[in-house]
Amino acid sequence: MLDQQTNERRLTIARAMAEAMAQEMRRDPSVFVMGEDIGPFGGIFGNTRGLIDEFGKDRVRDTPISETGFISAAVGAAMDGMRPVVELMFVDFFGVCFDAIYNQMAKNTYFSGGNSSVPMVLMTSTGGGYSDAGQHSQCLYGTFAHLPGMKVVSPSNAYDAKGLMTAAIREDNPVVYMYHKGLQGMGWLGTEPGATVHTPEEDYVVEIGKAKVVREGSDVTLVGLAMGVHNALKAADKLAEDGVSAEVVDLVSLVPLDRETVRASVAKTGRLIVVDEDYHSYGVTGEIIATVCEHDIGKLKAAPARVAFPDVPIPYARNMEQFCLPNADKIVAAYRAMQKAEG
Amino acid sequence: MKPTKDQLLWMYENMVLSRRFEEAIEKVYMEGKTPAFNMANGPIPGEMHLSNGQEPCAVGVCVHLTDEDIVTATHRPHHQAIAKGVDLRGMTAEIFGKSTGLSGGRGGHMHIFDADVNFSCSGIIGESCGPACGAALSRKMQGKPGVAVAFLGEGAANQGAFHEALNLAGVWKLPVVFVIEDNSWGISVPKSEATAVERNDVRAAGYGMPGHHIPGNDPEAIFDIAGQAIERARAGEGPTLIEIETYRLAGHFMGDAEQYRPEGEKDALFEKDPIPKMRARLLADGTATEAELDKIETAAGEKVEDAIGYARDSAPARDEDALTAVFV
Amino acid sequence: MATDVTVPTDLWEGDLEAVITNWLASDGQAVKQGALLAEIMVEKSQFEVTAPADGTLTITQAADAIVRKGDTIGRIG
Repeated sequence: MLDQQTNERRLTIARAMAEAMAQEMRRDPSVFVMGEDIGPFGGIFGNTRGLIDEFGKDRVRDTPISETGFISAAVGAAMDGMRPVVELMFVDFFGVCFDAIYNQMAKNTYFSGGNSSVPMVLMTSTGGGYSDAGQHSQCLYGTFAHLPGMKVVSPSNAYDAKGLMTAAIREDNPVVYMYHKGLQGMGWLGTEPGATVHTPEEDYVVEIGKAKVVREGSDVTLVGLAMGVHNALKAADKLAEDGVSAEVVDLVSLVPLDRETVRASVAKTGRLIVVDEDYHSYGVTGEIIATVCEHDIGKLKAAPARVAFPDVPIPYARNMEQFCLPNADKIVAAYRAMQKAEG
Repeated sequence: MKPTKDQLLWMYENMVLSRRFEEAIEKVYMEGKTPAFNMANGPIPGEMHLSNGQEPCAVGVCVHLTDEDIVTATHRPHHQAIAKGVDLRGMTAEIFGKSTGLSGGRGGHMHIFDADVNFSCSGIIGESCGPACGAALSRKMQGKPGVAVAFLGEGAANQGAFHEALNLAGVWKLPVVFVIEDNSWGISVPKSEATAVERNDVRAAGYGMPGHHIPGNDPEAIFDIAGQAIERARAGEGPTLIEIETYRLAGHFMGDAEQYRPEGEKDALFEKDPIPKMRARLLADGTATEAELDKIETAAGEKVEDAIGYARDSAPARDEDALTAVFV
Repeated sequence: MATDVTVPTDLWEGDLEAVITNWLASDGQAVKQGALLAEIMVEKSQFEVTAPADGTLTITQAADAIVRKGDTIGRIG
């Protein structure tokens, strides 16, 4: 017991990401990191802290504000034997460089008939809740997951963050690694304590494409990722007070999507609520609901529901943004509405 | 080009107004954020990018503009907005996220839009350039007068959008002026490590337009060069690129520890603060009296106080309004 | 003998207050000297607090607590 306690080490997601990168850089000289303010500054969101001290400016490269340039460069380097980890500071900035991402990074493997590979990681911050408005607060999960050719992951806690980063760096395909700012453990962005968890020091991988049941239940399945998982867990606590047993599924990965775990959970509970901080339409929520409905609609006791961001740009004013964001109360309300409809 | 007394005093007035405004915003921003600095808290949440130190760039350019001319600005827009004549009450209320804000609280400090004076901005680096070209093209196609000015930072000059827009402006001879405020830092990365040339004005040659470099953060030197560029644009002779050496007296955003700055840099910058410098110069050459300048400063303070009071007293944005104005 | 875990006095200039943003070790946990215990933040800058000794950690100031240089935030016994 004492040993186990001695071994307990909690990390923030920011630290877990940096630790995974450092370990992979030690292991594999082809791994290098580049992006804006990822050098001495340590990343705006703390996820590259300490790397430049150990690996130097050659392998931890601060870039100009030239996302098309350096993300395309990562594609070229990856196809030539390196394993770059590049950072797009805010996912909202994808607009200035998306060709590099979805036409080059995501398609070169296919267009080469599988003869070339693009083993790179594109890490990027997502999420709002701190009034940064609609050019610095989006999630855009659905946008990236929609386009074939890139794997997409988004951790909800430090353990997964480390294992997913390690897996992403070792992966021979491009991986978009989306980390939610509100889970980073940066106090100035608010801190979700549930994301800071025990994280082993030794390297390990969390399998890309495998969802996790993070809370077992029998009455309703709540599906989410990243911040959505924490909202779902809080909702599950509230529902439990009323004797409702909610199961919570953390998708962990969007591509590949672990449809089996979702279906198995809904087969058990018969009810489905999908939580997503990305926009309501054409996104993760619709995909998850379709995954269940097109498989076996007979398992559903009620029409599925989704709690997502309405189809509007993310507003600045705090009350407006909070009005739009998913939260535990909205999930509980969705369950109540479901119950009412069932009669 | 030499400024008249009125123009000098206008520039001084707007520099002071911008500075007083940001001092007030800085104070309110920190409400609810000490000792625990959580961006989401206080009357002004979110990121806050202050422009103090960079005021000369805005006033030296905008003094040549009318309401009809167009300005596209950046994520650090306050000084540019003030110099362009953006409604101060509306901008302040917007930054407070109030219903009376220019955008009803939807935009906040990085998204200031005031159609009455043809002012807009974007929080995305380099994205001021293309829209300025388009506005200039529109005036040309409509046969209407007007010049467009795109403000950007030196970091933005490494974005594709900047280079594409410059080429467009050059090949179509658009009435547009690109004004780079070179404060030497892209967040924590120094210009010297991010830009392949020492000065961005040399890049103008690649796009068939004149380029100018203005050292010293000097409002009168900016007045001169910007005046010539705007005149050239008005005369249909095409675009100009200007790079102004300026200083960011604050961090990239509020709360920035600025550990990347070499020791002593901040102190040296404050010694070069353009506002006391201009005041001294106006007094030394007899352009203005102490009383005149004091009056300007007092009036600026009152204007800011009024705007802050207006914003504080305004009703908050309505929750449901978050769902409106997506389309007209 | 118990050793106090205190906020280091040399991490930042001036007497600004800090906030404990994260405890990276748990109450009652055995820790080794030098292990990372907590993150504290002044404005947007984060700093580390490490274990001054081997032993069992008792947390006396929880996350989100406001602290000053030299304050005791825990004990190792």
